[in-house]
Amino acid sequence: MSKMSYVKRSIITAVCIGLSVVLPMAFHSIPNAGNIFCPMHIPVLLCGLICGGSFGLLCGLAGPLLSTLITGMPPMAYLPSMLVELAVYGVVCGLMINLVRTKKLYTDLYISLIVALIAGRIVAGAAKAVIFSAGSYSIAAWIASYFVTSWPGLVIQLALIPAIVGALMKAKLIPQRYSAQYEA
Amino acid sequence: MRTLPTGQYIQGDSILHKLEARVKILCLFILSAAVIGASSIVGYALALGTISALILLSRLPISCAFASVRRISLFLLVILMMNALFFAGENTMASWWIFHISREGIKQGFSVVINVILILILGNLLTMTTSPTQVTTALESLIKPLKLIGVPTEDVAMIISVAIQFIPTLIEETESIKKAQIARGARFESKRLAERAASFIPLVVPIFISAFRRADELSLAMEARGYRNAKNRTRRKKEPLALDDYTALTVCALICLLQFMLLR
Repeated sequence: MSKMSYVKRSIITAVCIGLSVVLPMAFHSIPNAGNIFCPMHIPVLLCGLICGGSFGLLCGLAGPLLSTLITGMPPMAYLPSMLVELAVYGVVCGLMINLVRTKKLYTDLYISLIVALIAGRIVAGAAKAVIFSAGSYSIAAWIASYFVTSWPGLVIQLALIPAIVGALMKAKLIPQRYSAQYEA
Repeated sequence: MRTLPTGQYIQGDSILHKLEARVKILCLFILSAAVIGASSIVGYALALGTISALILLSRLPISCAFASVRRISLFLLVILMMNALFFAGENTMASWWIFHISREGIKQGFSVVINVILILILGNLLTMTTSPTQVTTALESLIKPLKLIGVPTEDVAMIISVAIQFIPTLIEETESIKKAQIARGARFESKRLAERAASFIPLVVPIFISAFRRADELSLAMEARGYRNAKNRTRRKKEPLALDDYTALTVCALICLLQFMLLR
């Protein structure tokens, strides 16, 4: 999926950063939608999968920052841990999709997504425990905020992201990962 | 959603509005350090006095500066309670099971909450007096040192500028896709939360297809005009810092220095 030119990957990253600002606004009418559905995570994960780790890292850092500056959400108090979490999502997604080659598109996508989602949550939890909320963070709080509250978001991400990648490939907006011979 | 919440940036012609965005970002970091360094009543009074002066200089309504503080009031209460109930200090006032209420814990809780509030207000003052485009230009200038470790700072700045310019287009697309889905029976205004949430799912895939189509067209247009990367591009206007900018930086640095002298 990295056969695209540098310019195209840059512009797709810009669009994903824009969507990181716009998608949460669309979910704004649902109370607490940010914590439950995690709409900002979808563009970052997609950017990492389609453009690679370095662009995914930029999307993960710039998306929440721009969203805070433009819309005020997430609040500055939540921003540091969210930056860490999304940056890890973008990088790990990009790394995994380049490493995993099972010759089946959806298998590659699911493995990359699951590893990225777990890695991001672990690193963000560690950052909160050591830096941002040092002394007042526990494993119970980590499980509650990253798995219990946001399980609808996890389900939506695992269901939607492969569907979006498939739709983009079908519309020839991104290159095919494998030739038709190997597709799942 | 039709209106971009541009209430974050409020147009004006106050002293703060006229300062260079780079200077305001640097002052934010310096004053944040000064706030974190406050450890006594005099220190907090100095921080509070500085922020009050900035709010007056910005000529913005005080309620705007405190808007995001109200939004996270529950979170702040949780921080206060966690510190007050679990911080094991020397002067324990009451103790039961895993809960220890001590003078140090309560002091620590209030200290953290006040620091968060003051830094939040400083952040609000920056975003309310600086447009997103100015912030992007300032960030491009400030991240230039990262070039030394191989970060392509011009490309990063170009990507962020394009992202900001895409936002109104994406909002319009989202609105028209939303109306199309409503015509097909989606219920975005339903009173049932689950129904409202489920109705957003058919919104997401078309938004991404439309956004990626625009990205494809833009990248083709850029490549057709010879754009390869942002290296060696120059700006037509170069805005040097004015006397007000240097004054602001000096005053903020002095306040920070005073704060750290008070620490001793």
